[in-house]
Amino acid sequence: MTLGDQFETRFEVTEQVYRGFMEIFADRNPLHTDEAFAREHGFSGKVMYGNILNGFVSYFVGECLPVKNVAIQHQQIKFGTPVYLHDSLVMHSHLAEVYDTVNAYLFKFYFQNTAGVKVARGEVRIGLLS
Amino acid sequence: MERSKMIADITDIFHDVLDDDSLVITSATKASDIDDWDSLTHIELIIGIEKHFKIRFNASEINNWANVGEMCNAIDLLLKA
Repeated sequence: MTLGDQFETRFEVTEQVYRGFMEIFADRNPLHTDEAFAREHGFSGKVMYGNILNGFVSYFVGECLPVKNVAIQHQQIKFGTPVYLHDSLVMHSHLAEVYDTVNAYLFKFYFQNTAGVKVARGEVRIGLLS
Repeated sequence: MERSKMIADITDIFHDVLDDDSLVITSATKASDIDDWDSLTHIELIIGIEKHFKIRFNASEINNWANVGEMCNAIDLLLKA
């Protein structure tokens, strides 16, 4: 991996992803489960769990990089715009920093929806396993 | 660089990485003195120190320092190189 390397990874917040997250973590907060509640609070519908995007970051690290001997050391994300069921997202990421001494790599990323809105951005640092 | 200034700069990095402004760092401080100074924290400290001092340690040395003083010696050598 070389400094500046860029990646684009496509995701869709499917019913399966949404339901799976809800069932596994048992978070049934009405913002995520009650269409009327979400609309009453100014949203266009049920807001998807922000941490679904963290799962997408996990997929990116585990499945999309050219190396498999990796572990996430640090991850940070800011949610700027709601994500809704069936939204298609592109995760744009690039290798922003390389720490040779400790075999670590920092990727900066943002998720963009089909309307071109950046819905979340953040960074993830991975370490290469020895 | 004066050792006291270096320790002060390193202390700031420790505070930031460990999210604990009460930590007192001296030349004698070693990993076992600080509960949260684990292997991952060590990586973050190395990254923070390298960025701050604009140096690059040798990967083989970073796990051999007995205490902060030895880390400072390594920084000193790199700053003078």
